[in-house]
Amino acid sequence: MEHLTSETFDSNARAALDDAQLRGALRNATSLFGKRRLAAAQSVSNWEGLRSKARSIKDETLLQLDKYLEEFTANAERAGAQIHWARDGAEANEIVKRIVRERNGRLVVKAKSMTTEEIHLNAALEAVGVEALETDLGEYIVQLAGETPSHIIAPAIHKTRYQIADLFVDKLGIAPTDDIATLTATARAVLRGKFAAADIGVSGVNFGVAETGTILILENEGNIRLTTSVPKTHIAVMGIEKVIPRFADLEVFLKLLPRSGTGQHLTSYQSLITGTKRDSDGEGPDELHILLLDNGRSRMLAHPTTRQSLACIRCGACLNACPVYQQIGGHAYGSVYPGPIGAVITPQLIGLKKAAQLPYASSLCGACREVCPVKIDIPELLLHLRAEITEKSQAGDRTSAASKPKTSERLSFKAWAAVMTRPRLYEFSARMARFFQRLIVKGNRIGKVEGLMAALAPPLAAWTSVRDLRPIEAKSFREQWREQSLP
Amino acid sequence: MTPLAPNQSNNEARAAIMQSIRAHLASSPTIELIHAPVIANEQVAAVAHESSPVETFVERLESVGGHCLVVRDEADAAAALADIVSALQGSTSASRVALSDASLIARLTQGLEVEMAVSPAAADLFNYDIGISTAQAGITETGTLILEAEKERNRLVSLLPPVHIAVVNSRDLHLTIGDALAALRHENSLSRAITFITGPSRTADIELTLTVGVHGPKELHVIIIDDGSIAPSKSD
Repeated sequence: MEHLTSETFDSNARAALDDAQLRGALRNATSLFGKRRLAAAQSVSNWEGLRSKARSIKDETLLQLDKYLEEFTANAERAGAQIHWARDGAEANEIVKRIVRERNGRLVVKAKSMTTEEIHLNAALEAVGVEALETDLGEYIVQLAGETPSHIIAPAIHKTRYQIADLFVDKLGIAPTDDIATLTATARAVLRGKFAAADIGVSGVNFGVAETGTILILENEGNIRLTTSVPKTHIAVMGIEKVIPRFADLEVFLKLLPRSGTGQHLTSYQSLITGTKRDSDGEGPDELHILLLDNGRSRMLAHPTTRQSLACIRCGACLNACPVYQQIGGHAYGSVYPGPIGAVITPQLIGLKKAAQLPYASSLCGACREVCPVKIDIPELLLHLRAEITEKSQAGDRTSAASKPKTSERLSFKAWAAVMTRPRLYEFSARMARFFQRLIVKGNRIGKVEGLMAALAPPLAAWTSVRDLRPIEAKSFREQWREQSLP
Repeated sequence: MTPLAPNQSNNEARAAIMQSIRAHLASSPTIELIHAPVIANEQVAAVAHESSPVETFVERLESVGGHCLVVRDEADAAAALADIVSALQGSTSASRVALSDASLIARLTQGLEVEMAVSPAAADLFNYDIGISTAQAGITETGTLILEAEKERNRLVSLLPPVHIAVVNSRDLHLTIGDALAALRHENSLSRAITFITGPSRTADIELTLTVGVHGPKELHVIIIDDGSIAPSKSD
């Protein structure tokens, strides 16, 4: 399957809007997650306080990220973990490949991890003949179909049970069925064989605790426990922003993340792993490798607005709340991270040029900011990125694919500003407009009237092709005010 | 297993990332840090007033699909365990039981007439029907079990068989997640592998339909030994 890119966001979105099945699935998923999130948030007496607390912990960490990373790595190493550093995705993949090669690994089982999606680890491993198998049910389905996840916490919401059944019949040779329990049991049986045979388990990390060197991973299915318990070697890929100062800080995040993501009070399982086993006969892997990934994150520290991006705990609440995501789903963004948070993280990770349309994929309604458990001001970030895009294009950055404002657009805004700052000119213009609009108003509407409007004014036709434009009223507010208040 | 040789490029990467972090932070305009107040856990306190910790634990765990039995002592716990196992033998023809190495589990399963093994190897454990372990602690507000792999070989018996039966003492229940984390932290040294378990393995990845037992156990039974010495419930 051909994967979409951020550069073609507009056409991706248009195609998604024509997909009735996708939109139905999105409507169900986003409204269900949204309702559950709200109920779960209301089960805590001081939700706002928790959010503020979480954000202050993240801010505190990010402002001294170097110090907390030193502390985290020192404590993790003391407990037996091996720490690796990667400046970018290519370097991270090289490190993982080397660890796998040195252990003659042929089969890698993977727990769901956005960070390994970000660096395209599976493709890198497959290129050197290592099978990298996703084990989260949704991720497994998506991988089997040769697709990419469409939602941070529900990767396969874009597929129906019938499509999944067809996929399993085709790829796994099962008898036709549309029973979800049978499909789930099929995946369980196939994957248990893989867990038993796997040489290496690769996971992500939700939180890394500086004061203990502990990594914490949350899940519901148990595949992360299997990935981190059964194979002899465990590799945990962790963005450098995942560190938090204290073990006790986990409480706040354990309350916020499941409630914001799936609306649960707690997910079924949390694995808290601190280095390797003390007793060589003990259960669990012999080796733990923690791979710390920068890949553009440290750059985001340079401004308080962009720095907020690093507070994200990947809950997916902003996706469910976003009126744009609700209509087009995750694939249209053409990026690993979709939705509002994807629209701000992606341009910072892969560059404004490649993702110039994403900061505009928002009505700035602020729903994402309302639900964010760490109070990231996503609309502020979107505006910040839009400003950067505009500055770059005005600075004559010809290579930039950033939407360069047209001359007519710039002139229109100049004229608008001139009129709006001069009351007399404004009133005069309004009277003129009211006079001339008679030419194009029919049935108290502008536009969509026998194509007249479209023919008259091409730049304005873009507006009227999908919605009505109300004509200017016979008397302005100012005129009415003067009549009322003057004797 | 030989550790990786110290790697030159990795030291370079570490230095470069640290340098990048410091340089970008130094170039940033400053903002004032907002220090949020410490969170009071009013909601849990309210719940605790209404019922005993054990009742709350049971209510929370059952709300996510776990099965609970509260018993007075070890003899009752052994009887409850035998009942659960024999019911499973009847309903699912379960025949092989894997035990952790806890002495309590050895005592409770003495009279069980079923094929049992203590902490079988992982490869073998995939073929067992029931796993039995203790839990070192629990969390009342969420109905959560806490398993510490250093205190008991419970990491795999609680995970690989399709049914997990856990035994926990009511004295080891903490009211909140925060209390539990503080207790774990204040031990001499943190256990290397700690697992929090709240209900059976679950997924909703296909059409948002809840399905249990996707990778971990489909059934979770928790036997709580409560001699009534801690916060007796109102109905007593």
